[in-house]
Amino acid sequence: MSNKGQIKVLIAKPGLDGHDRGAKVLTMGLREAGMEVIYTGLRQTPEMIAQAALEEQPDVVALSCLSGAHQSLFPRVVDELKKRGMDNVLVIGGGIIPGEDIPSLQEHGVSSVFGPGSSIKEIAEYIRGKVAKKA
Amino acid sequence: MSGSFDKKDLQRIEQKRKDWEEGTLKKSLDRFGATENPNEFFTPLDVSEFDFLEKVGFPGEYPFTAGIYPCQVPGSGPVTGGYHIGGGGGLVRAGRYLGYGTAEDTRDYYQSEIVRGRTGGPNIAFDLPSQIGLDSDDPLAEGEVGKAGVAFDTLADFETIYEPFQGENNLDSIASNWTINAPVNVVLAAYIALAEKRGISPARLRGTLQNDIIKEYVARGTYIYPPKHSLRVTRDVIAYCTEHLPLLNPISISGYHMREAGATSVQALAFTLANATAYVQLGVDAGLDVDSFINRFTFNTLSGSMEVLKEICARRASRRMWAKIIRDKFGSKNPRNWILREAGGFLTGAWTSTSQRPLNNLTRAVIGGVAGALAGYIPSVEPPYDEPLGLGWSIEAQQLAEDAARIIHYESKLGEVTDPLAGSYYIEATTDLIEAEAWELINKIKEMGGSLGAIEKGFMQLAVAQSAYEYQKKLETGEETVVGVNSFTGEQEIEVLPNRMVPYPYDATKRAEAEKKQVARLAKIREQRDNGQVNKILAQLRETAGDEKANLIPLTIEAVKAYATIGEICGTLKEVFGEYSEYGKI
Repeated sequence: MSNKGQIKVLIAKPGLDGHDRGAKVLTMGLREAGMEVIYTGLRQTPEMIAQAALEEQPDVVALSCLSGAHQSLFPRVVDELKKRGMDNVLVIGGGIIPGEDIPSLQEHGVSSVFGPGSSIKEIAEYIRGKVAKKA
Repeated sequence: MSGSFDKKDLQRIEQKRKDWEEGTLKKSLDRFGATENPNEFFTPLDVSEFDFLEKVGFPGEYPFTAGIYPCQVPGSGPVTGGYHIGGGGGLVRAGRYLGYGTAEDTRDYYQSEIVRGRTGGPNIAFDLPSQIGLDSDDPLAEGEVGKAGVAFDTLADFETIYEPFQGENNLDSIASNWTINAPVNVVLAAYIALAEKRGISPARLRGTLQNDIIKEYVARGTYIYPPKHSLRVTRDVIAYCTEHLPLLNPISISGYHMREAGATSVQALAFTLANATAYVQLGVDAGLDVDSFINRFTFNTLSGSMEVLKEICARRASRRMWAKIIRDKFGSKNPRNWILREAGGFLTGAWTSTSQRPLNNLTRAVIGGVAGALAGYIPSVEPPYDEPLGLGWSIEAQQLAEDAARIIHYESKLGEVTDPLAGSYYIEATTDLIEAEAWELINKIKEMGGSLGAIEKGFMQLAVAQSAYEYQKKLETGEETVVGVNSFTGEQEIEVLPNRMVPYPYDATKRAEAEKKQVARLAKIREQRDNGQVNKILAQLRETAGDEKANLIPLTIEAVKAYATIGEICGTLKEVFGEYSEYGKI
């Protein structure tokens, strides 16, 4: 957490998927909720996302994927974060993630998955709760 | 202009309206403790300048507000809407957007569809690496091969995918649909090469390329090169098809993707028409007579929202506006070229469907189908209700969607009257209003140098993102209601999900193995082809690409025939054109 206790979030689009309505809406929404939010833009490799996280030192890395490649991409981001010593950063996911895929993602370090219809309020509350516990 | 009502009548209506507001209406509002009328009521006062011939006219005639055809017969005409409500049992629909896994997986699926009664050519969904010009063995493609569509690396993949289309379904008898934008030149070249291998003249090929790159910078994001250079590829395709493939639609301009990304009705309408104008200008600038190619321009859908009355008005406005642009701005002489050929329907869009209580999506899509019929299209009920549950649709959901369209058309007979809402005070006033707002936005884009300038400045991107956010805020405050998502939820509500009797069409094992198989397939091709020949053609392509005036399609066909990969061809052009990095990041 930065000074003044502001929560810092890195929102990232791993892979080739170009559907970023959710990522952009969440960027704007979490900013309005008082967090500092960096949005990476499209087509980020897991390495690029982890590197950005290393530089920005966010409290949260939020991943969005609607292409069906989440099962390969999300765990790879988590691994890359760990490689850089960021075991503590909260990783959450969103997009079109079938329910049956969620348990394995959680086993791989994705704390929670927010699907279509999730509200910004609910995501912000989840982040606040988790980050407060770590602090 | 005097309009349909004379002054005296209008004065009487105005007086009567005042009396009603102060009397009947006020009494009712007082009783409910309301100060403002929650409803709107339209009268001739709202359309006092209405001129039937100027604003509506006859179906199939300028300004085409009532419809682009004099009459519509299901399953006929170049517009694809309604193809699925023709005769026959089960699923007879052609053109369902599909593709997954390797070329073999998709071939097998098409084969099973044909057995199931499918007719016509394929509507190919390409995977993301293909859509952005990467080979399946590119490190960036890892995890994405065969996921959102079929993998396409070389001509060999088209040879396999099109195996089921032989004999009476050969390439000169079917029309294909290719959802491909940035690497559209490669896909066109591959289809031409495939036809030539089968001894079919390219002049006989029919189909539709999406080739609408501008909207990719605004939504969906499958761009490769910077916009200016990508538009050169667009131009090459339009010019080449006009000369050599006169039956092929070289472009399908879409509002749908921008709408899905959050654009409002007016934004989608204005941006789509502005983009379409930019594409027509490309052809004109290439020295083509507008009437020699505009007849092959098609529109994907403008899409819509659950507010279907407004969407009906937007469609009526779109037809009128496009006719005006083609006739007045481009000076087209042939009235048949002024029509906005749109795949009809889809008035509620796909973004309105929810993963919560998904069967409700059938209700939503049926409302869209009814509205489509009222807007002058043969009804189509889309998307199938289970689309938000993941990639690929169940056969049962497809059957329900298609039956719903048939019920609307045959049982409700909604298609019996053309533009049945014409002359409604509300519909005409709202059509005028939407048109005026869209022109205003189009003029703003014009001041930025047209669509190219507008995306380079990030204007469209930001406008759409802001609209998406505004809508989200309304969802969170409850100003907008979505049943089962932000309201009417709770323990007393039940989840309704029908059993699935037919297996899920996309084989999970095949999906999991696709990447490995496709990479192996590609390695074999790289080994077997004449690599010296490939390199020679790519070097020529690199050199010719530097000449802005040159059309690159002939060389691309040569490259494809030598089994150059999509990644090699796009990579070569990247060396000359550069790569796009996002503008207008938020």
